[in-house]
Amino acid sequence: MKKHFLYIAIAALLTACSEDATLDVAGMFSPNGPTVQTRFEQSVAYNATRGEIHLEMGADDYTIYLCSDSHITRKTHRNLDYFMHQYRAAASPKMALHLGDLIDAQKNFPCADSILHYAGQTINDTIFLTPGNHDIYFKLWDIYRDFFKTSVYWFDTNNGTKKLDLFICLDSAEGELGAAQMNWLRELLAQKSQEGYRRIIVFSHTHLWKLDGSQGHCSNMALEATYEFTSLLSQYGVQYYWCGHQHARQEVHFKGVTYMVLNATKDEESQQSYMLAHMSDAREVRFEHVDYPKE
Amino acid sequence: MKRLLFLFAFFPMLVIAANPGFGDRKYSLSGMAEYSYNTTWGHHGNFDIQALMPINAHFEMEAKLQFSTANVYTGALQLRPKFELPVGEIFIETDVLYKAVARNRIGDITAALGVGYRMDYVSITLGVFSRVIDDWDRSWYTDESFVVEPFNLLYRLEVFCRPQNNPWNLSFMISNVDDYQMERMWQPLFSAGAWYDVNEHWRLNFWAQCKPTGMFHLDATFYGATFRTGFTYRF
Repeated sequence: MKKHFLYIAIAALLTACSEDATLDVAGMFSPNGPTVQTRFEQSVAYNATRGEIHLEMGADDYTIYLCSDSHITRKTHRNLDYFMHQYRAAASPKMALHLGDLIDAQKNFPCADSILHYAGQTINDTIFLTPGNHDIYFKLWDIYRDFFKTSVYWFDTNNGTKKLDLFICLDSAEGELGAAQMNWLRELLAQKSQEGYRRIIVFSHTHLWKLDGSQGHCSNMALEATYEFTSLLSQYGVQYYWCGHQHARQEVHFKGVTYMVLNATKDEESQQSYMLAHMSDAREVRFEHVDYPKE
Repeated sequence: MKRLLFLFAFFPMLVIAANPGFGDRKYSLSGMAEYSYNTTWGHHGNFDIQALMPINAHFEMEAKLQFSTANVYTGALQLRPKFELPVGEIFIETDVLYKAVARNRIGDITAALGVGYRMDYVSITLGVFSRVIDDWDRSWYTDESFVVEPFNLLYRLEVFCRPQNNPWNLSFMISNVDDYQMERMWQPLFSAGAWYDVNEHWRLNFWAQCKPTGMFHLDATFYGATFRTGFTYRF
């Protein structure tokens, strides 16, 4: 209980510092950048110019490297460096997902980009991102967009001859998907669930359940949105929802969908790990949680 | 710092300004209509029925039902032991709230226990609640489970413009709960209410609520709003 009061007091009084290090509570009461509706529209417009992404894995089995909440600053990004090194050194076929809060709000995207080499990535070191609240608040969306272009998109994998898995990235950075994104998701799932994918996976930043006190003061979606979103995933046979945000590992099975929250990749975090998802024709994906080395 | 000083000065002022007595709480029945909008369910209407049953001077019960055109049905029962103090009234609030989200075939039940303190111009409640969200179609032969959220903080701070036994009033409230929902602790609700006693038996009620989301993501955005009006008949 004391911890929660402390969180409330700290959140209400300090919230977070804006880029010029002044106290800024405005973000608690009004959007301080484009809302999810605008970000969705800009993302869909970009996706239309870029075209669809179909990753040819060359095999039925492949590994996904997943990390979340790296919160890098210019001074400390040891774990993200380690994650990318392990990922690039691993044998193919593989791909990677970062589940949001790449940076810690001080405009560290150039530093993040120098670690991810996002613009120059190839088929052998593809990493996909979803924005977290730290990546977009205090008007960071435009910079995020300069580097990573889109926050709502889908891609799929294939073995050269047949479709394997479908991945859908959603923008939940402000704890809300918005009506347009939900409609887009509904239409996409209705269409894609008929195309014979091995499995459908949705990933985003915000977690859905408040199972314990581990989530600190980070908020979920509204309850109405939680009911609707979970039912939609269930209706179209989504197998997994992967996310971060609360910095503590969690797994929930609800309405046929497995909701997985990852530990943080942030340096100095008490629970630091990344996850490997071994994709194959087996009924279940095999998961492996890998701790970051202690300094 | 100015804000802190204001807060520290404001609450003692409210306590000093308080007078005991809230008028007689009588058996009453309310019927209310709501217009509501949120980005998930869109525009919808709700119809509410509430019954207040003061069993004796130290115990009252309240039952609430809501029928929504969004195909969601809510029932709540509150048992409220209360004790008059030299200044104000202290009460224990025990709530059970069940939301049948028929549109999604989900049931959401919450049970709350809180302690409140009420004065003429302010009412504060603090407590905890637990939630279980279950799928109506859950298979008992798989590893499917219901979702238990065992601990949530409940808070409600309501400030009134006039003493609560006044025939008219305006109130402003910040909380994470209201008559028909118990949101997670990091999802505050902002409400404003008003009443006007037309005569001894009839009261006219107004109530509005704004529900933002992402406040503790530090990137709050509008999620929904509700406007309610209706009558209360006091027997």
